[in-house]
Amino acid sequence: MASLRNKFRLLRAARTAGLAGVIVLGACLGYGQTTNSCLDCHSAMPDPLGVTQEKFSQDIHAQKGLTCTSCHGGDASSYDPTVSMGAKAGFKGKIDRKQVPQLCAGCHSNPTYMKQYDPGLRTDQLDQYHTSVHGKRLAAGDSKVAVCVDCHSVHDIRPPSDPRSTVNPVNIATTCSRCHSDAAYMKPYGIPTDQFAKYNTSVHYQAMMVSGDLSAPTCTTCHGNHGAVPPGVDKVQNVCANCHVFQAQMYEKSSHKAAFDALGLPGCVVCHSNHGIHMPSDAMLGTGPQGVCMRCHQPGDRCDQARVKIQSGLMQLDGAITQADQTLSVAEASGMDVSEARLAQSQARDQLIKARVTIHTYQASLVDQDVQAGLKIAAKDEQAGKDAMVERNQRRIGLGICLIAIAIMLAGLWLFIRKIER
Amino acid sequence: MSGEQNTPPGSTRRRAIEYFLGGGILATFASFLYPVLRYVVPPPVADLGVNEVVAGKVGDLKPNSGAIFRFGSSPGLLILTSDGTYQALSATCTHLGCTVQYRGDLRQVWCPCHNGIYGIDGRNISGPPPKPLTAYDVHLRGDEIVVTHKREA
Repeated sequence: MASLRNKFRLLRAARTAGLAGVIVLGACLGYGQTTNSCLDCHSAMPDPLGVTQEKFSQDIHAQKGLTCTSCHGGDASSYDPTVSMGAKAGFKGKIDRKQVPQLCAGCHSNPTYMKQYDPGLRTDQLDQYHTSVHGKRLAAGDSKVAVCVDCHSVHDIRPPSDPRSTVNPVNIATTCSRCHSDAAYMKPYGIPTDQFAKYNTSVHYQAMMVSGDLSAPTCTTCHGNHGAVPPGVDKVQNVCANCHVFQAQMYEKSSHKAAFDALGLPGCVVCHSNHGIHMPSDAMLGTGPQGVCMRCHQPGDRCDQARVKIQSGLMQLDGAITQADQTLSVAEASGMDVSEARLAQSQARDQLIKARVTIHTYQASLVDQDVQAGLKIAAKDEQAGKDAMVERNQRRIGLGICLIAIAIMLAGLWLFIRKIER
Repeated sequence: MSGEQNTPPGSTRRRAIEYFLGGGILATFASFLYPVLRYVVPPPVADLGVNEVVAGKVGDLKPNSGAIFRFGSSPGLLILTSDGTYQALSATCTHLGCTVQYRGDLRQVWCPCHNGIYGIDGRNISGPPPKPLTAYDVHLRGDEIVVTHKREA
Protein backbone atom coordinates (compact mmCIF):
# COMPACT_ATOMS: atom_id res chain seq x y z
CA MET A 1 0.00 0.00 0.00
CA ALA A 2 2.80 2.37 1.01
CA SER A 3 4.76 1.78 -2.22
CA LEU A 4 1.59 2.39 -4.29
CA ARG A 5 1.03 5.70 -2.45
CA ASN A 6 4.65 6.68 -3.15
CA LYS A 7 4.16 5.96 -6.88
CA PHE A 8 1.07 8.24 -6.94
CA ARG A 9 3.08 10.97 -5.19
CA LEU A 10 5.84 10.68 -7.80
CA LEU A 11 3.28 10.80 -10.61
CA ARG A 12 1.64 13.92 -9.10
CA ALA A 13 5.04 15.61 -8.71
CA ALA A 14 5.99 14.78 -12.29
CA ARG A 15 2.64 16.14 -13.55
CA THR A 16 3.09 19.40 -11.59
CA ALA A 17 6.67 19.81 -12.83
CA GLY A 18 5.59 19.14 -16.40
CA LEU A 19 2.77 21.69 -16.21
CA ALA A 20 5.12 24.29 -14.74
CA GLY A 21 7.59 23.60 -17.56
CA VAL A 22 4.92 24.11 -20.20
CA ILE A 23 3.88 27.42 -18.60
CA VAL A 24 7.49 28.69 -18.42
CA LEU A 25 8.19 27.59 -22.02
CA GLY A 26 4.96 29.22 -23.19
CA ALA A 27 5.92 32.46 -21.44
CA CYS A 28 9.40 32.36 -23.02
CA LEU A 29 7.98 31.83 -26.49
CA GLY A 30 5.44 34.63 -26.03
CA TYR A 31 2.44 32.32 -25.88
CA GLY A 32 -0.77 34.37 -25.64
CA GLN A 33 0.73 37.31 -27.62
CA THR A 34 -0.33 37.83 -31.18
CA THR A 35 2.50 37.21 -33.60
CA ASN A 36 3.05 40.18 -35.96
CA SER A 37 5.70 39.16 -38.41
CA CYS A 38 5.10 42.40 -40.38
CA LEU A 39 6.23 44.67 -37.54
CA ASP A 40 9.03 42.32 -36.49
CA CYS A 41 10.68 42.73 -39.90
CA HIS A 42 9.53 46.25 -40.90
CA SER A 43 10.59 47.81 -37.60
CA ALA A 44 14.18 47.01 -38.61
CA MET A 45 13.81 48.51 -42.10
CA PRO A 46 14.66 52.09 -43.12
CA ASP A 47 12.00 54.51 -44.41
CA PRO A 48 9.73 54.32 -46.37
CA LEU A 49 9.29 50.65 -45.51
CA GLY A 50 10.10 51.04 -41.81
CA VAL A 51 7.24 51.04 -39.28
CA THR A 52 8.11 50.58 -35.63
CA GLN A 53 5.92 49.09 -32.93
CA GLU A 54 6.27 52.40 -31.07
CA LYS A 55 4.92 54.36 -34.03
CA PHE A 56 2.08 51.97 -34.85
CA SER A 57 0.98 51.74 -31.21
CA GLN A 58 0.10 55.49 -31.42
CA ASP A 59 -2.33 54.78 -34.26
CA ILE A 60 -6.02 54.87 -33.32
CA HIS A 61 -6.56 51.78 -35.53
CA ALA A 62 -3.93 49.77 -33.62
CA GLN A 63 -5.52 50.89 -30.36
CA LYS A 64 -8.90 49.61 -31.59
CA GLY A 65 -7.42 46.19 -32.42
CA LEU A 66 -6.74 46.54 -36.15
CA THR A 67 -3.41 45.29 -37.51
CA CYS A 68 -1.22 45.69 -40.60
CA THR A 69 -3.20 43.03 -42.44
CA SER A 70 -6.46 44.99 -42.00
CA CYS A 71 -5.24 47.35 -44.74
CA HIS A 72 -2.35 45.49 -46.45
CA GLY A 73 -3.72 41.94 -46.37
CA GLY A 74 -1.29 39.03 -45.92
CA ASP A 75 -0.69 36.69 -42.99
CA ALA A 76 1.06 38.25 -39.98
CA SER A 77 1.35 34.90 -38.17
CA SER A 78 3.93 33.51 -40.59
CA TYR A 79 7.60 34.42 -40.81
CA ASP A 80 7.83 32.82 -44.25
CA PRO A 81 7.68 35.75 -46.76
CA THR A 82 6.12 33.53 -49.40
CA VAL A 83 3.24 32.85 -47.00
CA SER A 84 2.97 36.15 -45.09
CA MET A 85 3.23 38.22 -48.26
CA GLY A 86 1.79 35.64 -50.61
CA ALA A 87 -1.12 36.06 -52.98
CA LYS A 88 -2.87 33.21 -51.21
CA ALA A 89 -3.05 35.32 -48.03
CA GLY A 90 -4.49 38.24 -50.01
CA PHE A 91 -1.38 40.40 -49.66
CA LYS A 92 -1.88 43.86 -51.25
CA GLY A 93 1.54 45.37 -50.52
CA LYS A 94 1.90 49.15 -50.87
CA ILE A 95 -1.52 50.64 -51.49
CA ASP A 96 -1.64 52.64 -54.69
CA ARG A 97 -2.45 56.31 -53.95
CA LYS A 98 -5.49 56.14 -56.21
CA GLN A 99 -6.85 53.22 -54.17
CA VAL A 100 -6.37 54.84 -50.74
CA PRO A 101 -9.77 56.63 -50.46
CA GLN A 102 -11.58 53.46 -51.50
CA LEU A 103 -9.59 51.35 -49.05
CA CYS A 104 -10.27 53.65 -46.08
CA ALA A 105 -13.92 53.92 -47.11
CA GLY A 106 -14.15 50.12 -46.87
CA CYS A 107 -14.68 50.66 -43.15
CA HIS A 108 -15.29 54.42 -42.83
CA SER A 109 -18.28 54.41 -45.21
CA ASN A 110 -19.90 51.48 -43.43
CA PRO A 111 -22.23 52.93 -40.75
CA THR A 112 -22.89 49.52 -39.16
CA TYR A 113 -19.18 48.77 -38.81
CA MET A 114 -18.19 52.27 -37.60
CA LYS A 115 -20.99 52.42 -35.06
CA GLN A 116 -19.25 49.84 -32.88
CA TYR A 117 -16.26 52.20 -32.45
CA ASP A 118 -17.88 55.64 -32.49
CA PRO A 119 -21.65 55.94 -33.00
CA GLY A 120 -21.31 59.68 -33.66
CA LEU A 121 -18.68 59.40 -36.38
CA ARG A 122 -19.76 60.46 -39.89
CA THR A 123 -19.53 57.94 -42.69
CA ASP A 124 -19.89 60.23 -45.72
CA GLN A 125 -16.23 61.17 -46.07
CA LEU A 126 -15.77 59.33 -49.40
CA ASP A 127 -18.92 60.87 -50.91
CA GLN A 128 -17.68 64.28 -49.82
CA TYR A 129 -14.20 63.56 -51.14
CA HIS A 130 -15.66 62.85 -54.58
CA THR A 131 -17.09 66.41 -54.59
CA SER A 132 -13.76 67.99 -53.61
CA VAL A 133 -11.15 69.41 -55.96
CA HIS A 134 -8.79 66.72 -54.65
CA GLY A 135 -11.30 63.92 -55.35
CA LYS A 136 -12.22 65.18 -58.80
CA ARG A 137 -8.58 65.50 -59.84
CA LEU A 138 -7.76 62.05 -58.48
CA ALA A 139 -10.63 60.59 -60.49
CA ALA A 140 -9.20 62.38 -63.54
CA GLY A 141 -5.88 60.57 -63.00
CA ASP A 142 -3.89 63.16 -61.04
CA SER A 143 -2.23 61.21 -58.22
CA LYS A 144 -0.42 64.31 -56.84
CA VAL A 145 -3.55 65.53 -55.09
CA ALA A 146 -4.25 64.87 -51.43
CA VAL A 147 -5.70 61.50 -50.45
CA CYS A 148 -6.68 60.41 -46.91
CA VAL A 149 -3.14 59.63 -45.70
CA ASP A 150 -1.70 62.98 -46.84
CA CYS A 151 -3.77 64.84 -44.26
CA HIS A 152 -4.35 62.15 -41.62
CA SER A 153 -0.80 60.70 -41.82
CA VAL A 154 -0.18 56.96 -42.06
CA HIS A 155 0.70 54.26 -39.49
CA ASP A 156 0.36 56.82 -36.66
CA ILE A 157 -3.13 58.17 -37.38
CA ARG A 158 -4.45 59.93 -34.30
CA PRO A 159 -8.03 61.09 -33.71
CA PRO A 160 -8.58 64.81 -34.56
CA SER A 161 -9.16 65.57 -30.88
CA ASP A 162 -5.53 64.63 -30.13
CA PRO A 163 -3.39 67.82 -30.17
CA ARG A 164 -0.63 65.82 -31.91
CA SER A 165 -2.97 64.86 -34.76
CA THR A 166 -2.20 66.43 -38.14
CA VAL A 167 -5.92 67.29 -38.39
CA ASN A 168 -6.32 68.80 -34.93
CA PRO A 169 -7.63 72.39 -35.40
CA VAL A 170 -4.28 73.90 -34.37
CA ASN A 171 -2.39 71.78 -36.94
CA ILE A 172 -4.76 71.88 -39.93
CA ALA A 173 -3.28 75.03 -41.54
CA THR A 174 0.23 73.56 -41.28
CA THR A 175 -0.98 70.26 -42.76
CA CYS A 176 -2.61 71.99 -45.76
CA SER A 177 0.46 74.21 -46.20
CA ARG A 178 2.72 71.18 -46.73
CA CYS A 179 1.45 71.10 -50.31
CA HIS A 180 -0.28 74.46 -50.76
CA SER A 181 2.76 76.54 -49.71
CA ASP A 182 5.14 74.52 -51.90
CA ALA A 183 5.47 76.70 -54.99
CA ALA A 184 7.23 73.98 -57.02
CA TYR A 185 4.63 71.32 -56.12
CA MET A 186 1.69 73.66 -56.83
CA LYS A 187 3.14 75.10 -60.07
CA PRO A 188 1.04 72.94 -62.44
CA TYR A 189 -2.18 74.12 -60.79
CA GLY A 190 -1.57 77.86 -61.20
CA ILE A 191 -2.98 78.89 -57.83
CA PRO A 192 -1.31 81.16 -55.25
CA THR A 193 0.90 79.62 -52.54
CA ASP A 194 0.82 82.49 -50.04
CA GLN A 195 -2.40 81.48 -48.26
CA PHE A 196 -0.61 80.04 -45.22
CA ALA A 197 1.71 83.05 -44.87
CA LYS A 198 -1.30 85.38 -45.10
CA TYR A 199 -3.39 83.29 -42.68
CA ASN A 200 -0.58 83.52 -40.13
CA THR A 201 -1.03 87.30 -40.07
CA SER A 202 -4.84 87.11 -39.75
CA VAL A 203 -7.18 87.78 -36.87
CA HIS A 204 -8.42 84.19 -37.22
CA TYR A 205 -4.89 82.85 -36.67
CA GLN A 206 -4.57 85.11 -33.62
CA ALA A 207 -7.83 83.73 -32.20
CA MET A 208 -6.79 80.11 -32.84
CA MET A 209 -3.08 80.10 -32.01
CA VAL A 210 -2.63 83.02 -29.62
CA SER A 211 -5.96 83.08 -27.77
CA GLY A 212 -6.28 79.28 -28.00
CA ASP A 213 -9.87 79.38 -29.35
CA LEU A 214 -10.19 76.02 -31.14
CA SER A 215 -13.48 77.09 -32.72
CA ALA A 216 -11.72 79.92 -34.60
CA PRO A 217 -11.59 79.43 -38.37
CA THR A 218 -8.81 77.49 -40.04
CA CYS A 219 -8.61 76.27 -43.67
CA THR A 220 -11.32 73.60 -43.34
CA THR A 221 -13.81 75.96 -41.67
CA CYS A 222 -14.31 77.88 -44.92
CA HIS A 223 -13.23 75.31 -47.52
CA GLY A 224 -14.63 72.13 -45.98
CA ASN A 225 -12.44 69.17 -45.10
CA HIS A 226 -13.21 66.01 -47.08
CA GLY A 227 -15.18 68.01 -49.63
CA ALA A 228 -12.60 70.80 -49.79
CA VAL A 229 -13.39 73.39 -52.46
CA PRO A 230 -13.08 77.17 -52.68
CA PRO A 231 -16.38 78.60 -51.32
CA GLY A 232 -17.23 80.29 -54.63
CA VAL A 233 -17.51 84.01 -55.33
CA ASP A 234 -21.24 84.31 -54.66
CA LYS A 235 -21.20 82.04 -51.59
CA VAL A 236 -18.45 83.69 -49.55
CA GLN A 237 -20.90 85.69 -47.41
CA ASN A 238 -22.76 82.47 -46.55
CA VAL A 239 -19.52 81.00 -45.21
CA CYS A 240 -18.62 84.12 -43.20
CA ALA A 241 -22.25 84.34 -41.96
CA ASN A 242 -21.80 81.12 -40.00
CA CYS A 243 -20.05 83.23 -37.37
CA HIS A 244 -20.58 86.86 -38.42
CA VAL A 245 -24.38 86.65 -38.37
CA PHE A 246 -25.41 90.30 -37.95
CA GLN A 247 -22.92 91.62 -40.47
CA ALA A 248 -24.17 89.10 -43.04
CA GLN A 249 -27.84 89.93 -42.38
CA MET A 250 -27.14 93.63 -42.84
CA TYR A 251 -25.01 93.05 -45.94
CA GLU A 252 -27.76 90.91 -47.52
CA LYS A 253 -30.18 93.86 -47.38
CA SER A 254 -27.62 96.47 -48.38
CA SER A 255 -26.99 98.26 -51.65
CA HIS A 256 -23.53 96.65 -51.80
CA LYS A 257 -25.00 93.16 -52.14
CA ALA A 258 -26.74 93.99 -55.42
CA ALA A 259 -23.72 95.93 -56.71
CA PHE A 260 -21.21 93.21 -55.85
CA ASP A 261 -23.44 90.52 -57.32
CA ALA A 262 -23.76 92.47 -60.56
CA LEU A 263 -20.00 92.95 -60.79
CA GLY A 264 -19.23 89.35 -59.75
CA LEU A 265 -17.31 90.51 -56.68
CA PRO A 266 -16.84 88.10 -53.76
CA GLY A 267 -18.89 89.79 -50.97
CA CYS A 268 -17.05 90.16 -47.66
CA VAL A 269 -13.68 89.46 -49.33
CA VAL A 270 -13.84 92.72 -51.32
CA CYS A 271 -13.17 94.80 -48.17
CA HIS A 272 -11.79 92.25 -45.69
CA SER A 273 -9.68 90.05 -48.03
CA ASN A 274 -9.69 86.27 -47.62
CA HIS A 275 -6.75 84.48 -45.99
CA GLY A 276 -5.06 87.52 -44.42
CA ILE A 277 -8.13 89.02 -42.68
CA HIS A 278 -6.94 91.62 -40.18
CA MET A 279 -8.81 93.05 -37.21
CA PRO A 280 -11.08 95.72 -38.77
CA SER A 281 -10.36 99.31 -37.80
CA ASP A 282 -12.06 102.65 -38.39
CA ALA A 283 -9.12 103.46 -40.67
CA MET A 284 -10.70 101.10 -43.24
CA LEU A 285 -13.30 103.86 -43.78
CA GLY A 286 -10.59 106.46 -44.31
CA THR A 287 -8.63 107.50 -47.35
CA GLY A 288 -5.24 106.29 -46.09
CA PRO A 289 -3.43 103.09 -47.07
CA GLN A 290 -5.86 100.99 -44.99
CA GLY A 291 -8.92 102.64 -46.55
CA VAL A 292 -11.08 100.34 -48.70
CA CYS A 293 -14.03 102.49 -49.85
CA MET A 294 -12.10 104.67 -52.26
CA ARG A 295 -10.89 101.67 -54.24
CA CYS A 296 -14.30 101.74 -55.95
CA HIS A 297 -15.92 105.08 -55.01
CA GLN A 298 -15.08 108.52 -56.35
CA PRO A 299 -14.14 111.40 -54.02
CA GLY A 300 -17.12 113.65 -53.31
CA ASP A 301 -19.82 111.31 -54.61
CA ARG A 302 -22.91 110.46 -52.54
CA CYS A 303 -21.31 107.33 -51.08
CA ASP A 304 -18.10 109.19 -50.22
CA GLN A 305 -20.17 111.76 -48.31
CA ALA A 306 -21.85 108.94 -46.38
CA ARG A 307 -18.42 107.40 -45.69
CA VAL A 308 -17.14 110.68 -44.23
CA LYS A 309 -20.24 110.96 -42.03
CA ILE A 310 -19.93 107.36 -40.79
CA GLN A 311 -16.21 107.63 -40.08
CA SER A 312 -16.46 110.99 -38.31
CA GLY A 313 -19.37 109.65 -36.19
CA LEU A 314 -17.33 106.63 -35.11
CA MET A 315 -14.26 108.76 -34.37
CA GLN A 316 -16.37 111.22 -32.40
CA LEU A 317 -17.85 108.44 -30.24
CA ASP A 318 -14.46 106.76 -29.80
CA GLY A 319 -12.96 110.10 -28.74
CA ALA A 320 -15.85 110.85 -26.34
CA ILE A 321 -15.44 107.43 -24.68
CA THR A 322 -11.67 107.92 -24.32
CA GLN A 323 -12.18 111.43 -22.91
CA ALA A 324 -14.77 110.20 -20.36
CA ASP A 325 -12.46 107.31 -19.43
CA GLN A 326 -9.63 109.76 -18.75
CA THR A 327 -11.82 112.04 -16.61
CA LEU A 328 -13.09 109.04 -14.65
CA SER A 329 -9.53 107.74 -14.20
CA VAL A 330 -8.38 111.07 -12.74
CA ALA A 331 -11.40 111.14 -10.41
CA GLU A 332 -10.71 107.52 -9.42
CA ALA A 333 -7.02 108.30 -8.77
CA SER A 334 -8.18 111.13 -6.51
CA GLY A 335 -10.07 108.61 -4.41
CA MET A 336 -13.58 109.39 -5.72
CA ASP A 337 -16.12 106.61 -6.27
CA VAL A 338 -17.12 106.67 -9.94
CA SER A 339 -17.88 102.97 -10.35
CA GLU A 340 -21.46 103.74 -11.46
CA ALA A 341 -20.17 105.84 -14.36
CA ARG A 342 -17.47 103.23 -15.09
CA LEU A 343 -20.24 100.63 -15.47
CA ALA A 344 -22.20 102.95 -17.77
CA GLN A 345 -19.04 103.41 -19.89
CA SER A 346 -19.33 99.76 -20.92
CA GLN A 347 -22.76 100.62 -22.44
CA ALA A 348 -21.17 103.45 -24.42
CA ARG A 349 -18.56 100.97 -25.68
CA ASP A 350 -21.39 98.56 -26.59
CA GLN A 351 -22.90 101.31 -28.77
CA LEU A 352 -19.55 101.85 -30.51
CA ILE A 353 -19.23 98.12 -31.22
CA LYS A 354 -22.85 98.02 -32.46
CA ALA A 355 -22.22 101.06 -34.69
CA ARG A 356 -19.22 99.28 -36.22
CA VAL A 357 -21.50 96.32 -37.01
CA THR A 358 -24.21 98.63 -38.40
CA ILE A 359 -21.67 99.88 -40.97
CA HIS A 360 -22.61 96.77 -42.96
CA THR A 361 -25.99 98.39 -43.76
CA TYR A 362 -23.95 101.17 -45.46
CA GLN A 363 -26.60 103.65 -44.25
CA ALA A 364 -25.13 106.64 -42.42
CA SER A 365 -28.45 107.39 -40.66
CA LEU A 366 -28.57 103.92 -39.01
CA VAL A 367 -24.93 104.14 -37.89
CA ASP A 368 -25.65 107.63 -36.54
CA GLN A 369 -28.47 106.27 -34.32
CA ASP A 370 -25.97 104.00 -32.52
CA VAL A 371 -23.36 106.77 -32.40
CA GLN A 372 -25.79 109.28 -30.87
CA ALA A 373 -26.94 106.74 -28.25
CA GLY A 374 -23.27 106.13 -27.31
CA LEU A 375 -22.43 109.86 -27.27
CA LYS A 376 -25.33 110.50 -24.86
CA ILE A 377 -23.99 107.87 -22.41
CA ALA A 378 -20.37 109.05 -22.77
CA ALA A 379 -21.41 112.69 -22.16
CA LYS A 380 -23.27 111.62 -19.00
CA ASP A 381 -20.23 109.68 -17.79
CA GLU A 382 -17.94 112.61 -18.58
CA GLN A 383 -20.23 114.85 -16.53
CA ALA A 384 -20.21 112.31 -13.67
CA GLY A 385 -16.40 112.41 -13.73
CA LYS A 386 -16.38 116.22 -13.76
CA ASP A 387 -18.91 116.35 -10.90
CA ALA A 388 -16.69 113.97 -8.93
CA MET A 389 -13.73 116.28 -9.57
CA VAL A 390 -15.73 119.33 -8.41
CA GLU A 391 -16.62 117.45 -5.23
CA ARG A 392 -12.98 116.45 -4.79
CA ASN A 393 -11.91 120.09 -5.10
CA GLN A 394 -14.54 121.19 -2.58
CA ARG A 395 -13.29 118.55 -0.15
CA ARG A 396 -9.72 119.70 -0.66
CA ILE A 397 -10.66 123.35 -0.06
CA GLY A 398 -12.47 122.26 3.13
CA LEU A 399 -9.42 120.33 4.23
CA GLY A 400 -7.17 123.32 3.45
CA ILE A 401 -9.37 125.66 5.55
CA CYS A 402 -9.27 123.15 8.43
CA LEU A 403 -5.47 122.88 8.20
CA ILE A 404 -5.07 126.68 8.17
CA ALA A 405 -7.35 126.96 11.22
CA ILE A 406 -5.31 124.30 13.02
CA ALA A 407 -2.04 126.05 12.03
CA ILE A 408 -3.35 129.42 13.36
CA MET A 409 -4.39 127.72 16.58
CA LEU A 410 -0.95 126.10 16.98
CA ALA A 411 0.81 129.39 16.27
CA GLY A 412 -1.37 131.08 18.90
CA LEU A 413 -0.59 128.31 21.34
CA TRP A 414 3.14 128.70 20.68
CA LEU A 415 3.00 132.47 21.21
CA PHE A 416 1.00 131.95 24.38
CA ILE A 417 3.59 129.48 25.75
CA ARG A 418 6.40 131.94 24.97
CA LYS A 419 4.50 134.65 26.83
CA ILE A 420 4.16 132.40 29.89
CA GLU A 421 7.91 131.53 29.76
CA ARG A 422 8.78 135.23 29.97
CA MET B 1 35.23 128.52 24.20
CA SER B 2 34.32 130.35 27.39
CA GLY B 3 30.65 129.39 26.85
CA GLU B 4 31.58 125.78 27.01
CA GLN B 5 33.43 126.36 30.24
CA ASN B 6 30.43 128.22 31.68
CA THR B 7 27.98 125.51 30.79
CA PRO B 8 26.15 124.71 34.00
CA PRO B 9 26.20 121.07 35.04
CA GLY B 10 23.16 119.12 33.81
CA SER B 11 22.62 121.29 30.64
CA THR B 12 23.57 118.37 28.38
CA ARG B 13 20.83 116.25 29.95
CA ARG B 14 18.33 119.12 29.53
CA ARG B 15 19.29 119.43 25.84
CA ALA B 16 18.85 115.70 25.36
CA ILE B 17 15.38 115.91 26.90
CA GLU B 18 14.57 118.87 24.59
CA TYR B 19 15.65 116.82 21.57
CA PHE B 20 13.45 113.94 22.65
CA LEU B 21 10.50 116.26 23.22
CA GLY B 22 11.06 118.07 19.91
CA GLY B 23 11.33 114.75 18.07
CA GLY B 24 8.10 113.58 19.67
CA ILE B 25 6.27 116.76 18.66
CA LEU B 26 7.60 116.45 15.07
CA ALA B 27 6.50 112.78 14.91
CA THR B 28 3.04 113.82 16.14
CA PHE B 29 2.81 116.47 13.40
CA ALA B 30 3.99 113.95 10.84
CA SER B 31 1.27 111.52 11.94
CA PHE B 32 -1.27 114.36 11.47
CA LEU B 33 0.06 115.30 8.07
CA TYR B 34 0.50 111.79 6.62
CA PRO B 35 -3.26 111.07 6.32
CA VAL B 36 -3.76 114.55 4.86
CA LEU B 37 -1.13 113.85 2.19
CA ARG B 38 -2.60 110.41 1.53
CA TYR B 39 -6.02 112.04 1.15
CA VAL B 40 -4.73 114.51 -1.42
CA VAL B 41 -2.67 111.86 -3.27
CA PRO B 42 -4.49 108.56 -2.72
CA PRO B 43 -2.78 105.27 -3.60
CA PRO B 44 -3.87 103.76 -6.92
CA VAL B 45 -6.69 101.22 -6.53
CA ALA B 46 -7.34 99.26 -9.72
CA ASP B 47 -10.30 97.30 -8.40
CA LEU B 48 -12.16 97.68 -5.19
CA GLY B 49 -11.98 93.89 -4.91
CA VAL B 50 -15.67 93.40 -4.26
CA ASN B 51 -16.31 89.80 -3.30
CA GLU B 52 -19.96 89.98 -2.33
CA VAL B 53 -22.85 92.06 -3.57
CA VAL B 54 -26.62 92.17 -3.05
CA ALA B 55 -27.90 91.69 -6.59
CA GLY B 56 -31.56 92.28 -5.78
CA LYS B 57 -34.47 91.17 -3.66
CA VAL B 58 -36.57 88.05 -3.91
CA GLY B 59 -39.65 88.90 -5.93
CA ASP B 60 -37.96 91.62 -8.02
CA LEU B 61 -37.47 89.23 -10.94
CA LYS B 62 -40.20 87.34 -12.75
CA PRO B 63 -39.46 83.69 -13.62
CA ASN B 64 -37.66 83.30 -16.99
CA SER B 65 -36.15 86.79 -16.88
CA GLY B 66 -32.85 88.43 -16.01
CA ALA B 67 -31.48 91.72 -14.71
CA ILE B 68 -28.12 93.46 -14.73
CA PHE B 69 -26.54 94.22 -11.37
CA ARG B 70 -23.31 95.95 -10.41
CA PHE B 71 -20.51 93.68 -9.22
CA GLY B 72 -17.74 96.10 -8.28
CA SER B 73 -17.16 98.15 -11.41
CA SER B 74 -18.27 95.46 -13.86
CA PRO B 75 -21.77 94.28 -14.78
CA GLY B 76 -23.27 90.99 -13.62
CA LEU B 77 -26.37 89.21 -14.88
CA LEU B 78 -28.86 87.68 -12.45
CA ILE B 79 -31.27 85.18 -13.98
CA LEU B 80 -34.38 83.66 -12.45
CA THR B 81 -35.03 80.52 -14.49
CA SER B 82 -38.55 79.30 -15.24
CA ASP B 83 -38.12 76.53 -12.64
CA GLY B 84 -37.44 79.15 -9.96
CA THR B 85 -33.68 78.88 -9.47
CA TYR B 86 -31.30 81.83 -9.47
CA GLN B 87 -28.16 81.93 -11.61
CA ALA B 88 -25.58 84.74 -11.61
CA LEU B 89 -22.99 85.29 -14.33
CA SER B 90 -20.53 87.92 -15.41
CA ALA B 91 -22.40 90.08 -17.95
CA THR B 92 -19.27 90.97 -19.93
CA CYS B 93 -19.19 89.09 -23.24
CA THR B 94 -15.94 87.16 -23.70
CA HIS B 95 -15.75 88.24 -27.35
CA LEU B 96 -15.39 92.04 -27.37
CA GLY B 97 -16.67 92.95 -23.91
CA CYS B 98 -20.28 94.01 -24.65
CA THR B 99 -22.90 93.61 -21.93
CA VAL B 100 -24.93 90.44 -22.41
CA GLN B 101 -28.61 90.03 -21.57
CA TYR B 102 -31.04 87.20 -20.77
CA ARG B 103 -33.46 86.34 -23.57
CA GLY B 104 -36.63 84.73 -22.20
CA ASP B 105 -37.74 83.67 -25.69
CA LEU B 106 -34.49 81.76 -26.29
CA ARG B 107 -34.02 80.80 -22.62
CA GLN B 108 -30.40 81.70 -23.22
CA VAL B 109 -27.98 84.53 -22.61
CA TRP B 110 -27.49 86.70 -25.68
CA CYS B 111 -24.97 89.32 -26.69
CA PRO B 112 -26.58 92.00 -28.89
CA CYS B 113 -23.31 93.13 -30.48
CA HIS B 114 -22.39 90.05 -32.54
CA ASN B 115 -25.19 87.57 -31.76
CA GLY B 116 -23.12 85.52 -29.31
CA ILE B 117 -25.18 82.97 -27.36
CA TYR B 118 -24.44 81.41 -23.98
CA GLY B 119 -26.33 78.81 -21.95
CA ILE B 120 -27.91 79.73 -18.60
CA ASP B 121 -24.81 78.27 -16.93
CA GLY B 122 -22.58 80.62 -18.96
CA ARG B 123 -21.32 78.07 -21.49
CA ASN B 124 -20.59 79.65 -24.90
CA ILE B 125 -22.97 77.90 -27.30
CA SER B 126 -22.80 79.74 -30.61
CA GLY B 127 -21.49 82.85 -32.30
CA PRO B 128 -18.11 84.42 -31.74
CA PRO B 129 -17.63 84.13 -27.91
CA PRO B 130 -14.44 82.12 -27.38
CA LYS B 131 -14.90 81.39 -23.67
CA PRO B 132 -17.75 80.85 -21.19
CA LEU B 133 -19.03 83.63 -18.96
CA THR B 134 -17.75 83.47 -15.38
CA ALA B 135 -20.43 81.98 -13.14
CA TYR B 136 -20.96 83.30 -9.61
CA ASP B 137 -22.43 81.71 -6.50
CA VAL B 138 -25.92 82.83 -5.46
CA HIS B 139 -27.22 82.65 -1.87
CA LEU B 140 -30.40 83.91 -0.27
CA ARG B 141 -29.98 85.91 2.93
CA GLY B 142 -33.48 86.70 4.15
CA ASP B 143 -35.11 88.30 1.11
CA GLU B 144 -31.79 89.50 -0.33
CA ILE B 145 -30.12 87.74 -3.25
CA VAL B 146 -26.41 87.70 -2.46
CA VAL B 147 -23.89 87.03 -5.24
CA THR B 148 -20.30 86.01 -4.47
CA HIS B 149 -17.30 84.83 -6.45
CA LYS B 150 -17.20 81.06 -6.79
CA ARG B 151 -14.97 79.49 -4.19
CA GLU B 152 -12.04 77.48 -5.49
CA ALA B 153 -12.79 73.74 -5.14
